[in-house]
Amino acid sequence: MNELIKMKDLTKVYPLGETEVQALRGVDVKIKKGEFISIIGPSGSGKSTLMHIIGCLDRSTSGSYFLRGKDVNKMSENQLADIRKEFIGFIFQDFYLLPDVPAWYNVSLPMIYNRIAPKERKEKAVSILESVGLGDRIGHLPNQLSGGERQRVAIARALANEPEIIIADEPTGNLDSVRGEEILKILSDLHKKGKTIIIVSHEKYVAERGKRKIYLKDGRVEGKG
Amino acid sequence: MFSGFLIEILRSAVESIKANKLRSLLTTLGIVIGVTTVIGVMSVISGFKKYMATSFSQLGANVLYIGKYPWVMGHMSREEWSKIHKRDIVGLKEAEALKEYGSSFKYVSPSILRNMKMERGDKEAEEVKIEGVSEDFSRIINQDVSLGRFLSKDDVKYNRHVCVLGQDVVNSLFPEENPIGTKVKIKGRQFNVIGILEERGEMMGNSMDNTAMIPYTTMTAFTGKRSTINIAVYTEEGEEAKEEIRWILRGVRDLKPNEEDDFSINSSEALIEQFNQLTGTFLLISIAIAAISLIVGGIGIMNIMLVSVSERTREIGVRKAIGAKSSEILGQFLMESVVICLVGGTIGIILGASLTKLISIMRGGSIPFHIPIWSVVLGFGFCFSIGVFFGYYPARKASKLSPVEALRYE
Repeated sequence: MNELIKMKDLTKVYPLGETEVQALRGVDVKIKKGEFISIIGPSGSGKSTLMHIIGCLDRSTSGSYFLRGKDVNKMSENQLADIRKEFIGFIFQDFYLLPDVPAWYNVSLPMIYNRIAPKERKEKAVSILESVGLGDRIGHLPNQLSGGERQRVAIARALANEPEIIIADEPTGNLDSVRGEEILKILSDLHKKGKTIIIVSHEKYVAERGKRKIYLKDGRVEGKG
Repeated sequence: MFSGFLIEILRSAVESIKANKLRSLLTTLGIVIGVTTVIGVMSVISGFKKYMATSFSQLGANVLYIGKYPWVMGHMSREEWSKIHKRDIVGLKEAEALKEYGSSFKYVSPSILRNMKMERGDKEAEEVKIEGVSEDFSRIINQDVSLGRFLSKDDVKYNRHVCVLGQDVVNSLFPEENPIGTKVKIKGRQFNVIGILEERGEMMGNSMDNTAMIPYTTMTAFTGKRSTINIAVYTEEGEEAKEEIRWILRGVRDLKPNEEDDFSINSSEALIEQFNQLTGTFLLISIAIAAISLIVGGIGIMNIMLVSVSERTREIGVRKAIGAKSSEILGQFLMESVVICLVGGTIGIILGASLTKLISIMRGGSIPFHIPIWSVVLGFGFCFSIGVFFGYYPARKASKLSPVEALRYE
């Protein structure tokens, strides 16, 4: 059994003023190691919430979540931080790079929390940047880079600690179709190298890249591709 | 590996401060003022203390000065003051009694001081401190002659008109020749110069070398026998000697057992003590001022750190998403506030030191430039504590942010 992620009857309820919002209403998801998954659905369907919970950024209200056979609900905040550090790489729609430091430093950031020595950090950051085609942008600040380049820096950062899972939240949302295609190509290549990729998107051409699709609607999984 | 992480959050703190130079500088102002005050005041007091200590020590350690008036008066009512004023003079009678009966002290000498003009030919020395003393005086104040000899027992016994000159007097009356064996005039009387005193330098901004010593027996010709004098006593026995002096003087002055002492036994320690009391009060006031500005500075730090946390909410979210623990975020922001405080502290120490130097120069170098090392340590310690104390709340707030909410923050 090589199930990486196993969620059963997962719910998430947010308080919203006086009332509550039911973002997830009982979701069952299983993802195997090395899969390329698209989570798709209209906005408000709960896909971002699901992504946050998969990525251990947030906790579910009820239901079970086992990651690599371990019960995530029973983990402490520090243990969740360790999971995010070692097993998960995030890519966000808005890149979320630190604006005042160069590309290589942004990429090396996760390694700081992994206690990698400074020299090794920089060497590794540079080599990852080269692998996403940014060998000549190492010392550039984020505002000196184009959108596509920024997203590639963000991908490089997600790869820094060699995670098993890459979670990309609308990774092409702020890019034109050519740049978006470049990003998707990199993700496909990572999948071919054995990484588990989870893309969250409402755009059809992005979702089509997934080998398997999870449709979300009103907090429930509608069907599986 | 942990020290590597410390260096990393230190680096990130420095980056963040550099990114907001003006804001960080303004924030540290309170700290700067506080530390400047502490360092400045402590340095001035410490330099002044050293200076006073060396000055007073020229009066001679182990020397007691007995006279009509106390040196240290403190708070005194009009009645108390007039009582002291009405005391009988302390005169040669007392000096002779001490010399004859004293056993706990080695040397006794009257000290009769007058400022007078000295002349030699067409040259003059104004306001020379002329001191009538005995042959013991040189040993009491531990000042020898650099040339010639000091007063002898016979000089005193036979009221000889001889004098020993201080270096300033020599400089103004004898710019070129050797004064020994020549004559000088004081109030129309001729005095033979027999020796030159070792140089003493300055005390409280006054030269100690504008002086001349003559036998006290000769001095009374100028002052009369009924004027009040000081008696200098050299002793190594401290309190015991004071008791003996009291006992002898009460006898000589016919005091009844129920009467108070009507004379004062003074020492340089008492002066230093008085001075320390004075500076102690001054120090307390400045510490209060410094404490207030440090606290105000601390509140400023807290304020700016709260702003910084809210500005960087997104960054905190990113850091958490890539694996930062709450404690690591806490450490990062705590480090930032500590670094701001230490930068402020460093500026304060430099300003305080410059201020002290400036005061020292403006006073013509009479107050030595001296920064006590413990005041620097104290200054840094304060800054560190303030950084931790006032930085903790904002840092904790940052560390407690939920990653999802921090990422969503606009």
